[in-house]
Amino acid sequence: MFRILRKSLKTGVVTGQHPAAPQPADTAPHETCEKATPFTTSLTIREVDTGSCNACEMEMNALANPIYDAEQFGIHLAASPRHADALVVTGPVTVNMERALKDVYRHTPDPKLVIALGDCAINCGVFKGSYAVTGPVERHVPVDLRIPGCPPRPAEILIALANLRRR
Amino acid sequence: MPDRPSIEQQIRLAFPTLVPVPSPVPDLLQYRIGHAHLTELTSYLHNKIGGRLALLFAVDQRPLADRYEIQYLFALDSRQPWVLLTLELRGQDRLFPSITPSVHAAHWYEREIRDQYGLIPQGHPDLRRLVRHEHWPKGTHPLKKEFPWNQVLGRQQGEYRFRHIEGEGVFEVPVGPIHAGIIEPGHFRFSVAGEPILQLEVRHFWKHRGVEKLFEQQPLAAALPLAERISGDNTIGHGLAYCQAVESLLQVAVPRRARYLRSFLLELERLYNHLGDVGAICNDTAYALAHAHCSRIKEHVMQMSDRLTGSRFLRGALCIGGVTFDVTEPGLESIVKELNRVERDFSELEAIILANASLTDRLETTGVLTERVAWDHGVVGVVGRASGLDQDVRRDRPFAAYDEVPVHVALYRYGDVRARVRVRMDEIHESLRLIRDIARKIPPGALVAEPRHVPKPGNWAVSAVEGWRGEILYFVIAGSDGQIHRCKVRDPSFVNWPAIQWAVTGNIIPDFPLINKSFNLSYAGNDL
Repeated sequence: MFRILRKSLKTGVVTGQHPAAPQPADTAPHETCEKATPFTTSLTIREVDTGSCNACEMEMNALANPIYDAEQFGIHLAASPRHADALVVTGPVTVNMERALKDVYRHTPDPKLVIALGDCAINCGVFKGSYAVTGPVERHVPVDLRIPGCPPRPAEILIALANLRRR
Repeated sequence: MPDRPSIEQQIRLAFPTLVPVPSPVPDLLQYRIGHAHLTELTSYLHNKIGGRLALLFAVDQRPLADRYEIQYLFALDSRQPWVLLTLELRGQDRLFPSITPSVHAAHWYEREIRDQYGLIPQGHPDLRRLVRHEHWPKGTHPLKKEFPWNQVLGRQQGEYRFRHIEGEGVFEVPVGPIHAGIIEPGHFRFSVAGEPILQLEVRHFWKHRGVEKLFEQQPLAAALPLAERISGDNTIGHGLAYCQAVESLLQVAVPRRARYLRSFLLELERLYNHLGDVGAICNDTAYALAHAHCSRIKEHVMQMSDRLTGSRFLRGALCIGGVTFDVTEPGLESIVKELNRVERDFSELEAIILANASLTDRLETTGVLTERVAWDHGVVGVVGRASGLDQDVRRDRPFAAYDEVPVHVALYRYGDVRARVRVRMDEIHESLRLIRDIARKIPPGALVAEPRHVPKPGNWAVSAVEGWRGEILYFVIAGSDGQIHRCKVRDPSFVNWPAIQWAVTGNIIPDFPLINKSFNLSYAGNDL
């Protein structure tokens, strides 16, 4: 018990101990921010992997660690698309995942946002053109926000989400 | 190599007619065999002299010669040569004998060959589709040379038939492909009676991106970015395995300093992944404190990687012939100091975790993978070492700087979740020790070496790297004009996934996430 307390006291508060990310070159268009107005104080995200290499997933998971602590900005990660305000889609859409992506989109209640996370979701990255890849996310569902990077750093994801939800 | 004659002699004694063909690769015995000998010889290698089926794949040789080849790569004991068996299918021959009835590890490989090439393993007990899901049109086999790499096919109707268990009170629980957590897609079908799991069937390959076909469109020198993105958390493991295969084709002698830095990168990758895993396993028992601390330490190491190489996942740090980054002596010193602080931090946490009785209660005797089942599946890496399989490429076939920086292999026998946690904890300390050792011994010198040779079409190389999950294998065959003719990738997940089906039997469904996390296999690396 004392060992645990000592550890916590010794560690202190680590939130925010990360290098600042630069402001993205292109900010979200006006209509996207308009669409995001209901979610300015609270945004629940469902992450969908349609064929990524797992690096984008790791960075999404990092948002929940004590250093980035996305909960402090009202960002929650939901277990089901039925609870979500936004879908974060990673990876090129593979032939085998195409139907699952469309199903998830259908099951997410309106109003909803779709965020393409990482280069693969935006333009298929190194997997472009393959027989097993049907195209970027926007070919299958409408995309509201693109966060480029291979993978984007957690701090970059947080900035992009903050810009989107700015009043 | 004093051991070399012994394996060769043993095979000659058992099969007097077989003579190895001269092999371009050192430490490898290659035999060209006919259909008649195949099952007998593979069964002998696997069951009599303890050979692990490390790789089984097909090659379409057709631009060069009118035939298919099927390659069987066996790994024998530490520091013994590989044994490569090559079976040729000439002309219209599309059948080859299945070895699955005697060598169980061949199960998925042979189904994969059938999907990718349309070659039929005769006598295979289960010929359902594996990679190509049922909606792929009949008769389309993407790795055949005539199949266009960029052709997306239409869909057909089809249904995958799961294995059913029938009886009173038996019901099925389908899970996936999209899961509750932020993880990759895969489908799990449980048959349960009450709480205990009677059977689990894993249905994967949702993320199949056609990686092996994409390799064939690229020159040898340019495909590293693709290899780095096969399994994101395994950038260095896959990148290094690819680099080594290409370097042995181009006959590049990697400078000593670069080899040390490569080992350093590989240990750094192992470190952040194991730290994350220990926390995530604790999290699956709702032990949030350990998870929070572990993810904090992991983040610390990833930020350090970012400062060092410009990528949190160490991407772009490797290149063919060496590495793209360097560290100064004071730089290295401060890294070691920082990692020493990480180790103290983790040791304190480790003591807290291991003293937690309710955690131990959840981990012990959960998800037991017996040594026998692990061996039959050819299981590698952390999972194998937790079940008593004493194998580690870093020690058995040293690469990078591991001949000069020897590894102590962590080994546990119980095969439960706790053993897998303990292997990871030991390897965290071992990685930190190795990095200190590397920092002490690293020589000055060049970082990159130039290629000295242009490979002829048909030249091949095999490369093994102990990534943090386990043994990663690359088999690269050169084509004309420096292109890749075939690049077979084998992530450790591909052999470990079928074994998880046995580890969960008899456990309860709520323990499945815990068992799954303790294996922590890659979906992307498996599906390719």
